[in-house]
Amino acid sequence: MSKIANTFYNSIVKRNSVFVSTIFAGAFAFSVGFDVAVTKFWDSWNRGKQWKDIRHKYIQEE
Amino acid sequence: MASVQLVKKAVTVPPTVRTLASGVPRAPLIDFRARAAGHGDHAHHHGSAGPRSDAPSKVFGSVFQSPSSGLVAKVRTTAPVTGVFQQRLLHTTPAVRDAPQVPDFTPYEAKDESTNRSLAYLMIGSMGIISASVAQSTVTEFLKTMSASADVLAMAKVEVDINSIPEGKNVIIKWRGKPVFIRHRTQDEIEEARSTDWKSLRDPQPDEDRTKKPDWLVMLGVCTHLGCVPIGEAGDFGGWFCPCHGSHYDISGRIRKGPAPTNLEVPQYEINEAEGKLVIG
Repeated sequence: MSKIANTFYNSIVKRNSVFVSTIFAGAFAFSVGFDVAVTKFWDSWNRGKQWKDIRHKYIQEE
Repeated sequence: MASVQLVKKAVTVPPTVRTLASGVPRAPLIDFRARAAGHGDHAHHHGSAGPRSDAPSKVFGSVFQSPSSGLVAKVRTTAPVTGVFQQRLLHTTPAVRDAPQVPDFTPYEAKDESTNRSLAYLMIGSMGIISASVAQSTVTEFLKTMSASADVLAMAKVEVDINSIPEGKNVIIKWRGKPVFIRHRTQDEIEEARSTDWKSLRDPQPDEDRTKKPDWLVMLGVCTHLGCVPIGEAGDFGGWFCPCHGSHYDISGRIRKGPAPTNLEVPQYEINEAEGKLVIG
């Protein structure tokens, strides 16, 4: 545990530039992941109610 | 009887003690020197003067010089009561500690210093990630409110089937709330529009700049004077005529006569002749 903590501290936190860049990169990844997760949850919550779920009933592909 | 008059007079008494510039107190008339006790005759026995006159009384202890062991200080630890005395019958004696005001934090301290530090930085970093993400989405969502909404974008483009417009006919369609003139020009009209000496016009512009394909003239049907809608196939130049104040436009939509200052405006459009479609916007 202490070893992981020390690795984390020495590789990321020690230099502020690295720390801040990691935070920004993490923010990007977090926003993408959060978006995907919320969309997935929304789709599963509203399964069968959205246009993309019922589109095939009304539009036949040519 | 002579009247007695009391006169108050301010008298400046010279100070008995003052401070010299060097900071040393000076009292010229007062002798601060400690005198030896019991030597009223002032015999000069300075070697063994005995206890000083200003030494504390023997009740509390004393300092004296012993012939055998030099300077000796005696302090009575159980000094007799001197003043009003109340006996405290109940008391506790706390354990003597280095800093008695500070509580003991030992049970709360981290067992591992480096793990604790990394955990704190991990928390700080996670907080930073979440706040940066929130700030980013706040800004983007706010900027999105300024962009055109879907209904506006849907109305922004108009598609016209040009195959249904015969040669020499005008079509007026509505685009973004304004009329748009589309004219399928005949060959004679194209020649007339292109042969005009456009450099001498009020708003000089060649017909080539106003049309993408010479057959199709597309322009906004709003008079550049005060915004009336001109009438097609009318006027002195075979083009458009504005009934409001009498502006005459030619077959290329250029102002030729009347109060209008500029030519009729040409919107952005694309002609797809293969599919016979004209997209305005």
